Amino acid sequence: MATKLLDALREDRPGFTSSQGGPECYLRGKSRGGCLKPADRTFAQTTQCQQMNAIATLLSMEDSVFIVHAPDGCSGCASMFNESYKVGQYHRGKRVAKNAHIVSSSFDENDVIMGGETKLRTTIRSVVQRYQPKIVFLFSSCSSGIIGDDIDAVAAELQKDYDSTVIIPIHCEGFKSKIHSTGFDVVFNAIQNYIIGDDRPETEEGLVNIFATTSIGYADQLELERMLKAIGLKVNYIPFFSSYEKLKKIPAAEYSVSVCQVFADTYMKFLYEEYGIPYVITGMPVGTRSTDRWLTEIAKMVGKEEEAAAFLARERAAVLPEIESLREKIQGRRVFVCTGTGRGVAAATLIEDYNMKLVGIQSPTYEDAYVDDYERLAEFHGDDFIIDVATMQPFEQVNLVNRLKPDFFIGIGSWVDKLGIPNTHILEPKRPTFGYRGVVYLGRKIATALENTAWADKMAAHRKLPYRDSWYQQDAFHYMKREEDEE
Amino acid sequence: MRNFVENPRVSCSLSGGLGTLGAIYRAIPILHAGPGCGIQASIGTQIDYLGGGTGCPSTNTYEKEVIFGGEQRLRETIQGTLDVIDADVYVVLSGCTAGIIGDDIQSVVEEFQDSGHTVLAIETAGFKGDTYYGYSVTMLALFKHLAQKTVTEEKTVNLFGLVPNLDITSNGDFEELVRVLGRIGVNANTFFYIPDGVEQFRHAGNAALNINLSPWLLSNVEALLQSSFGIQTLHYPGLPVGPTATSDFLRKVGETLGIDKALVERVIREEEDYVYRYYEHALRELYRYIIVGDVNTVLGYSRYLTNDVGQVAYAAIITDQLPQSKRAAVEEELSHLEYGKPPKIFYENDKFKISEIIREHEDFINLILGSSYEKEIASELDTFHVTLSYPCTDQHILNKSHIGYRGCLTLIEDMYNNL
Repeated sequence: MATKLLDALREDRPGFTSSQGGPECYLRGKSRGGCLKPADRTFAQTTQCQQMNAIATLLSMEDSVFIVHAPDGCSGCASMFNESYKVGQYHRGKRVAKNAHIVSSSFDENDVIMGGETKLRTTIRSVVQRYQPKIVFLFSSCSSGIIGDDIDAVAAELQKDYDSTVIIPIHCEGFKSKIHSTGFDVVFNAIQNYIIGDDRPETEEGLVNIFATTSIGYADQLELERMLKAIGLKVNYIPFFSSYEKLKKIPAAEYSVSVCQVFADTYMKFLYEEYGIPYVITGMPVGTRSTDRWLTEIAKMVGKEEEAAAFLARERAAVLPEIESLREKIQGRRVFVCTGTGRGVAAATLIEDYNMKLVGIQSPTYEDAYVDDYERLAEFHGDDFIIDVATMQPFEQVNLVNRLKPDFFIGIGSWVDKLGIPNTHILEPKRPTFGYRGVVYLGRKIATALENTAWADKMAAHRKLPYRDSWYQQDAFHYMKREEDEE
Repeated sequence: MRNFVENPRVSCSLSGGLGTLGAIYRAIPILHAGPGCGIQASIGTQIDYLGGGTGCPSTNTYEKEVIFGGEQRLRETIQGTLDVIDADVYVVLSGCTAGIIGDDIQSVVEEFQDSGHTVLAIETAGFKGDTYYGYSVTMLALFKHLAQKTVTEEKTVNLFGLVPNLDITSNGDFEELVRVLGRIGVNANTFFYIPDGVEQFRHAGNAALNINLSPWLLSNVEALLQSSFGIQTLHYPGLPVGPTATSDFLRKVGETLGIDKALVERVIREEEDYVYRYYEHALRELYRYIIVGDVNTVLGYSRYLTNDVGQVAYAAIITDQLPQSKRAAVEEELSHLEYGKPPKIFYENDKFKISEIIREHEDFINLILGSSYEKEIASELDTFHVTLSYPCTDQHILNKSHIGYRGCLTLIEDMYNNL
């Protein structure tokens, strides 16, 4: 099998950074001028590793086994994703929720010294015997990667013994990339190289690959499918709650669409170049503007612009009065958004629907793919809102929120309660957050949070954050090594 | 050498260190570890002061550190932590990367001796062992560097051997232990989940006695406290659950500390009356059960359910890595409970194999007491299941207890409510 896709690190893309900060206009100016560089932190809190993203992307594949070639700690997040997997099964109507077959090779000191390949072989043989899975995914880790265990060789060697199981090595050593979303790319490369290979299935008319991130709930999956059905498309939902057969079908699709600017983007480009499958990169359909843009862009690609416009008009008409009445209640509030890149940008358009103003946003990455999005946000919110390019790093956001004093916070962060800011996250498994229905649902959620602020008010009165008073006086980006500093 | 394991129940030594420090308010971990470790290893822990794993300072070691070493990154990170985060004790925990490339974390930490802050370092590279190992080395380091003695406090005890988080009701269980010991005039240092945990470590040398609830953990700490401060250890393996066991526990502690017998007996009578008054109202089903959990859980709940509630133990599956040398004593105790026949005893931590054992004995049991993982086989066999052991992912637990006098009543409630 010829390898067609090569692993590339996200940080090697032009204009890409995961550590920067400043007003929107500053970052956009630098980026457009081609001189935006990462400003590494000399002090940081924990970040995320690409292994977590790689595992998260695949864990809901029901016919697979997931071997984490690492000490048991590297299965920590897999155990957490297993809970989402079980909840997801429940929402999809399964009464008996199964655990994902997560298997840790329990890499230990002996393996560090002697190498862990023998143990990996035993592990693979045992799980194939247990479950006869269609796929065995092997995830590498910092420890097994540094000592040089050759998971490719082990996979190739054992593959000879199995006809109905594909053994797929996934190179996701945490130390290798500063950008955890590299883990997404690694997974799509492996899917292409090991599952699809040289297949050239016949194109199925109207079939669209939807590449969806794992944070998308079942209600939103249904909403995506409903919107695409309105323009005559049938969905191959990948890779969440997917299967070997569904992955095999990827090259049979007529189109590809992603639900995030930087999820599967390189893979969709590859599918275009290799199979001629056209694609569009649009954001997440949260908020009316993002929803309109999402569906319209897809409709343009498939030549169904009229149908899309008619559908969107119907959807809009159905909820417009409710949006207007909600707007009365919540407009004018200043908002800080802290939800991940794609969802964050979309959330910033959602608050436009309610005439709320963005004062700050945290985003794990800043890259060319987002510059236009930020420019569009600047048209409404002004170009002085602060962007904190950070994989988490709550100490920076605590500093910013304390300084900017927003009226409302969108995201997940127990720390924000201790600053007394009313807040909500915008993830929801049982009701859509996408499309026009989602605009109303989230608007009500924000209005509810603003109607009763007791929790945050009283948490702030009782509990203190761990940061020193002096930290709140510092610049939030104090620990970033900027180029200017080095000059 | 450790075997591979499906759906691991415990994590790595770094997680053991994180979980232990996270449970001590204002003692904070500084990770010298890979970029994902703070999240991966904090799953299942409570790091409330820092707001969870994402709040942990970390060197986030990337390729550059792997190749050139990460000591400079660690130095910067410790300094940044001291400047930004307000805490009583700062503890560097190393991860796999630092462990393999051989960074000397002790020497880096020594540079901060004159910083005016307590900064320690503990080797917890993930491959060194599991959560229990991380707990054990972290507890040893904390006692070694913090514990001091001014005067022996005759009625103060150090209570340990209960790994934070791995007992699913650990917050409430510590509170109940403190409460019952308090009733006989004993002041218990439990170190975790309380505002003054660091202070308790600092004064641990003043205790008159240690109580170790684990049949196999922390002999290292026992030896240290014996040699440094002459403190003896009372062993009470497994959780004290329900009237019979808790009364037995109080009598043993009372006897060892020379506490007035009349006081102990009066407290026991009052507490037992409290429980039995509720028993009059209790809804109790009759079960032959199989119990799956770590040895503390299996011992504690087997004693209670068999000796007090009249349930029949059919089999016990012990999931922690109980050393061979400690197994005979545990088996002896499980086999000679006051009531009931000896259960079959298995040692297994792999979810698939545990499910197979349960499936084999399906005809003989009607209740599975285990972790949330056993819910799957219970649904498959359509058998009752109650979550008693780690991990518990199907309930949100804050301060409820399943042990002692009051906790056993909550357990009876949960056994009924989960059916």
